[in-house]
Amino acid sequence: MQLIVNIIVLAAIYALIACGYVLIYRVSRVMNLAHGDLMLIGAYLLVATSSMFAGHPLLAIVAAVIMSFTVGILVYLFLMRKMTGEMVLAAVLSTIALGIFLRGMAVLIWTAQQQYPLAKLGFVNFPILLPGGARISVCAAILVLTTAVVYGALFGFLRYGRWGVRMRAAGQNPLLAAQRGINLHTIYALAWGLSTLTGSLAGMLIALDSGLDSTMIVIGLKAFPAALVGGMDSLIGALVGALIVAGSEVLAIHFIDPLLSDVVPFAVLIAMLVVRPWGLFGTREELDRV
Amino acid sequence: MVRHTLFAALAVSALALPASAQDAYVVGITGGLTGSSASTYAPTVEAVRLYIERVNAAGGINGKQVRLVIQDDSAEPSKAAANAKKLLSQDNVILLVSSSVSSTYAPIVNETKRASVPILFGGGVCPKEATPPADPNQFCSTSFASTIDSRAAMTYINEAGTKPIKVGFAAMAIPISRSEIEFAEQQAKTLGMNNVGKEVIPPATADYTPYANKIKDSGADWVFSWAPWVTQIRSFEALRRLGWQGSFVTWAHIEAENELVRVKDDKFFVFGGNALFSDNLPVQREIADAAKKANVQYPVNQLAEGWVTGMVVEAVLKAAGWPADAAKVRSAMETVKVDTKGLRGGPIEWTKDNHLRTKQSYRFYRWDSKKNSIAQVKDWMTFDVK
Repeated sequence: MQLIVNIIVLAAIYALIACGYVLIYRVSRVMNLAHGDLMLIGAYLLVATSSMFAGHPLLAIVAAVIMSFTVGILVYLFLMRKMTGEMVLAAVLSTIALGIFLRGMAVLIWTAQQQYPLAKLGFVNFPILLPGGARISVCAAILVLTTAVVYGALFGFLRYGRWGVRMRAAGQNPLLAAQRGINLHTIYALAWGLSTLTGSLAGMLIALDSGLDSTMIVIGLKAFPAALVGGMDSLIGALVGALIVAGSEVLAIHFIDPLLSDVVPFAVLIAMLVVRPWGLFGTREELDRV
Repeated sequence: MVRHTLFAALAVSALALPASAQDAYVVGITGGLTGSSASTYAPTVEAVRLYIERVNAAGGINGKQVRLVIQDDSAEPSKAAANAKKLLSQDNVILLVSSSVSSTYAPIVNETKRASVPILFGGGVCPKEATPPADPNQFCSTSFASTIDSRAAMTYINEAGTKPIKVGFAAMAIPISRSEIEFAEQQAKTLGMNNVGKEVIPPATADYTPYANKIKDSGADWVFSWAPWVTQIRSFEALRRLGWQGSFVTWAHIEAENELVRVKDDKFFVFGGNALFSDNLPVQREIADAAKKANVQYPVNQLAEGWVTGMVVEAVLKAAGWPADAAKVRSAMETVKVDTKGLRGGPIEWTKDNHLRTKQSYRFYRWDSKKNSIAQVKDWMTFDVK
């Protein structure tokens, strides 16, 4: 039972991060390689707000969530907007530069010290006993719940929401969408905002569960195979990909060798690229364009 | 605070002291001020800077100021190599201090060897070349020393545990941590303990539970971890969240003291070569005063390692006399004996063949919930370094 819980928790982490990659790629065809860094910034924003609003944990969390959404929009307005119309490769390279910049800024502002936002918020991460003798920490349980809510909300938003439908339209055919009066810059900014928000939520919840340091960026990168395995333009794909990658990883740790945990996600990715390069639920045409 | 952080992180010729290069001892530092291990090395370098500032304010060494040139290597070998080249060829340092991860050692060792300038490892793990028979150019003052640390930990577990002892191990997937844990496994076996499990955990891990789960399932009643702090503490906390009730012994990195207070667990033991500030020694109060006056951004209890490095630099330059060059500094290092004023279990003493120290001591601590404070559980345990 504990094994299943471990897989679900890791899959939830990867899925929450991976949906950020998918949102931006689906709308603008850009692989955001700064996603891990934006996730880190989101987690640090929670550290900042937990100090700013000491004694008001909910206010601190809400403020951090709003700020992370704003950061995503600002990234689009001040950097990625300039990349509109340029080669996709230029945009991807810009995200690499952005990541390096954000990493440096995080150290300058928050130092390299380990941070524990949970303690600052005054919460305790106690374990919950599950049937079968398995245990899950409160923060991990909230993370799983958050992932479910985020995916549910995104599915609903993209299918039924006015802006969600516009977002899909912009992703499918930007020229036609623009001709129909959809403001592409607003759509792209919204995608960056939402992507940063979901990544930040993952960063915040990981930081609450086990602490925060700059190695979180690597966790962001480890979720990348999940997005690719599922298909870069599919939210369902991200969910399934996260489950496959996390399952392979946890099972390898448990039954083979813990050292394989770093290798397995990428081994799964390579296998998928050989068999079905566009991913389980991805669109073949989209990958060809990349 | 941001100004200070900028100062430390950019760290390009960090100190511009009122002394010209010709009229001062020039010492270079290459440190991991940014990057993945900055939480360990940035406070150490800051403490060295603080110590040398005080020395200069008090008139310097042999009547001369010390000019400290600090470079950030971001824990990257290529940057460390570039730093070493710059410090040796442009700044003409007579002593190079490294405070960074072990992967940066090879390039700077090569550079210092070529320039025939001694290198002092202060804050980063001591290289094997500092142990007898030592490389003539490499010296180490860092409190942790591979293999001896595990001997101390296993000795303590053997003394404190109820036999038969079932011990598990947690390492980070980096060579230095893995080899130390392998050595600890041998030690445990020699002492008659049952090695029931070992987990080697990647440096960046989203969830430590799967690894902790295996250690818990192995039935370990003691776990030993010797790795960067993040792996040690997160493995322990993951074990506790899984309901594991055993005892955990781990190396007291500079974060340890604050973490003992945060975790508040009576069975979480840390051991180290530096006395924790809960001991409230006069020298620790001195460090606290200096840090307060200089408005240092790091917690005071993280400054001991760098402070000791500063003490070593001062003692070496004093012994080298004036005018000093690299050869005189190296010669002085071979016989130096540094009084650490209680920060360590004894003086740091080097010989021609032993550039680690002749004796290595450890003190063990844990959180005492009855006293609601950190408690010493074992006073200095000393080993001869041969």
